[in-house]
Amino acid sequence: MVAPLMEETEKGKSALINNAKPKIEEEEEEQQVVKVWSWGAGTDGQLGTGRLHDELSPQLLNLSSLSSVSMLACGGAHVLALTSPSSVIGGKVFSWGRGSSGQLGHGEMVDALYPKPVTFFDGHRYTITHISAGWNHSGFVSDSGCLFTCGDGTFGQLGHGDYRSHSSPVKVSSFVNKNVHQIACGMRHSLVLLKDCLGNQVYGFGSGKRGQLGVSKDRIRSVSLPQVTIGLHDIEIVGISANGDRSAALSAEGHLYTWGRGFNSTSDVNCPQSLPSSLSFSQAALGWNHVLVLTGDGEVLMLGGSHHGMLSDPERVSSTRPLSVALEKVSNLDGVKVIQIAAGAEHSAVVTGKFHWVRLFIISYTPFFPPFFINVIAENRAIMTWGWGEHGQLGLGNTCDQIHPKVVNLGDEFQNRDTQLEVFCGSGFTYAISRHCLPSQT
Amino acid sequence: MSYDDVEIEDMEWNEELQAYTYPCPCGDLFQITKDELRIGEEIARCPSCSLYITVIYNIEDFLDNKSKEKLEPSKQQPVAVA
Repeated sequence: MVAPLMEETEKGKSALINNAKPKIEEEEEEQQVVKVWSWGAGTDGQLGTGRLHDELSPQLLNLSSLSSVSMLACGGAHVLALTSPSSVIGGKVFSWGRGSSGQLGHGEMVDALYPKPVTFFDGHRYTITHISAGWNHSGFVSDSGCLFTCGDGTFGQLGHGDYRSHSSPVKVSSFVNKNVHQIACGMRHSLVLLKDCLGNQVYGFGSGKRGQLGVSKDRIRSVSLPQVTIGLHDIEIVGISANGDRSAALSAEGHLYTWGRGFNSTSDVNCPQSLPSSLSFSQAALGWNHVLVLTGDGEVLMLGGSHHGMLSDPERVSSTRPLSVALEKVSNLDGVKVIQIAAGAEHSAVVTGKFHWVRLFIISYTPFFPPFFINVIAENRAIMTWGWGEHGQLGLGNTCDQIHPKVVNLGDEFQNRDTQLEVFCGSGFTYAISRHCLPSQT
Repeated sequence: MSYDDVEIEDMEWNEELQAYTYPCPCGDLFQITKDELRIGEEIARCPSCSLYITVIYNIEDFLDNKSKEKLEPSKQQPVAVA
């Protein structure tokens, strides 16, 4: 569901970095210490703690299956994890949490309290490179460009031409001769992005009632076979995202296209529409009622978040400021450079790199130069959250909503530039991963 | 304030819960039973949190058992696209 669109600007031209990007190159020589935390709604086992209750603060998970995790995908109440291809248990998919619709892909429709391998891919010798978790369904893309889906198929969101649910991954035959790059699973629909296929790159299937498939100008109830999304011809799409009844695509030029349910009670949009902004975006993350975008300068803007951070306060919601359909800068992030963004159904999370100057004194040993100093930039990484907090999904130790981003205490300091932080949001829960590279010991 | 207005045809009949359900942003389900609908209740609540939705439906559809068939919203009608 919440696979944020990511790209990286390189010499003015952007290239796709999916959130899912397995960090292969780092694994080869360096040893990493990976830590995983979870917090928020936990009543279906989605936190991987072995318990079935909410956690208001980050819980450090001591799970060997996640020691080489390269990517997480968090859905309605389940989680998919992908391990780095070069690790000892490399290229494997694990899943846990709610499994009542078969979304865990374990061949049965039961919940799992801890990460459990999706053995289907081992048996069929597929290496999975991209994953997405929807409300109650899951999608997997292999390195050979094949797409597999499982879970709830009631709305055609599995793309198999029927409305059946599956408890094991099933290959989507429509894409057998095509090269699938990414899948994005929403509440009741799915989007697919093909590789090297300009013009017919994006496909949609599942429920289309709010226009979220973008496959027709008319209102469509649902389709169970993938159909081309219209209105994106001649646009190079580098990332897709689906959540709730909404869809989004990010272009190589940094434009964001959205379709589906309208933001802030505006009417539904049946075809992709470009977000009116002169800014170029490097990432986008969709919630159920808001979208976050990140600019190349590390600034975060939000669209549709008029109720964001006041859901638990009915009076405040009804007397809220006039609904706006414009992008607004997220306040309280001044002087903070944001590196990554993520959105849950009604909450938001960012990874920040807070830069500050450090003065270094340099003592020269040559007789002609006196000691001098230089200023260098040091960086503090942190996770900040805001939005709906009733289940502890903000990880701030309470159930309060937050209108402005607040720093989550993970109990670790991330001053080292060699430590990477990533954040992932499910509907009502959040995961954080830190990767610390150890110096190679030779 | 109601989190959302949802038409009954967009809700799913859950056999286990014996209720019409709709996804709640917390991960659980908004729920309303046929008995509640019959007495004119239009609020579907989530058992896990404070949020609730307003269900849009026609009460007459629930007063008479004969019309039950057309109320099952989980049967999806595939629609051909031109």
